[in-house]
Amino acid sequence: MSTTFPIRQSSLPSHPPPRPQSLPPQSSHYNRPAPAGTSTAMSSTPSSGPGLRYPSNKKTIYDRNLNRSKNAELSRAAFAYLFIEMIAYAQRGARDVGDLEQRLNNQGYPIGVRLLDLLLSRSSNPLASIRPTRILPLLQFIAQTLYRHLFGRPADALERSGTDSAQYMLFDNEPMVNTYISLPREMSSLNCAAFVAGIIEGVCDGAGFPTEGVSAHSVGEQEEGKDGKGAPLWPGKTVFLIKFKKEVLEREEILARGGG
Amino acid sequence: MSYFFTIFSPTDTPLFTHEFGTSRSGGDGIARFTASERSLAPFILHSSLDIVEELQFGPSSTSGSAPMYLKHIDKYANNFVSCWITGANVRFLLLTRPRDEALGLAGGGGAGARGSLAGGRVTGSGLYDPRSPATEEAVKNFFVDVYEAWLKTVMNPFFHAGNGDVVKSPVFRQRVAAAAKKYL
Repeated sequence: MSTTFPIRQSSLPSHPPPRPQSLPPQSSHYNRPAPAGTSTAMSSTPSSGPGLRYPSNKKTIYDRNLNRSKNAELSRAAFAYLFIEMIAYAQRGARDVGDLEQRLNNQGYPIGVRLLDLLLSRSSNPLASIRPTRILPLLQFIAQTLYRHLFGRPADALERSGTDSAQYMLFDNEPMVNTYISLPREMSSLNCAAFVAGIIEGVCDGAGFPTEGVSAHSVGEQEEGKDGKGAPLWPGKTVFLIKFKKEVLEREEILARGGG
Repeated sequence: MSYFFTIFSPTDTPLFTHEFGTSRSGGDGIARFTASERSLAPFILHSSLDIVEELQFGPSSTSGSAPMYLKHIDKYANNFVSCWITGANVRFLLLTRPRDEALGLAGGGGAGARGSLAGGRVTGSGLYDPRSPATEEAVKNFFVDVYEAWLKTVMNPFFHAGNGDVVKSPVFRQRVAAAAKKYL
């Protein structure tokens, strides 16, 4: 009878062996031993540490290549489907349009922080690893590198606000994320590019340029008057307002004086 | 030589710590810190963060960009600190404690040799010099390897460096140890 579960006996130690380094104790819940049901499966990889589960092909994320950009393009249909679900998720419990946009922004933010490092490491010479330390190179990084990575083309225009020197405007004539979205009348002020605004905010914050917030606004209809009559050239034109915090501008000024 | 390596989050939380010795010139890869040095190391690294903040936006090389590798940035007693700062403001700090002989302390007549080392001028006769090209290159190669493993860590959507998530993966530790063995 005792020979029926030999693996189970050995693979479930009463307490996991002590970890070699002084990690804070809150990490323990990630290191819990595998549940009893999976013990037979776990026994095939006896070399694994406590609680670490290798995927079936034995490749952890550390064994994968970071620069695999071939076949990395995603189908538009898949994106649209996923994005609709994300909006629906954000809409659940959102009080108003502003709240909904904030939730979309929050979904994009962590992506921005991650893409910043990933795209910097993919720059032409990885060993030269440079990071932007001024506002303009950072914004160019967003308008060129980030936009190319996300949408396959650079942003359409980049301007500094005439009235507020802390504010920069990034224009996108036809945001890809809004392609398949038509807004109901009661939500006409919603712009789902708030998700992209969140990504931009994540990049700025991550790079050490904290912002008051990045927001997406539709400006397609305002151009109608400028063009005269008829439909606007870019009905979905969106502007991303990037407002940097006061200290960022102060630092920029000091650095400019210091002759950087 | 003994090394103490720590990754700091943008909010100065230590996310990963690894201690190792040199594997070069017959080293066995085991750190030889005394108990007091070991307990002092985190304090030295934390105090170096101030210097990182002074330097990180400093004179930029070309067109408003700066390298991630800040080289040797700080010295406290016999400990030398090198820094790598990622695009997202995560700091890799490496504390180096050379052997006493490499500091010119073995003979007991320390004062003169120590003074000249602080100035970073005397490089001959096997004294440790954090600014020598060979040292800088070795540390850089180490950081580059760690940076690659770090990128793979932060690409994990469940990992938030900004929230002070500690790196628990044993594979990451293996990668750091391998880079240390290879270059330092």
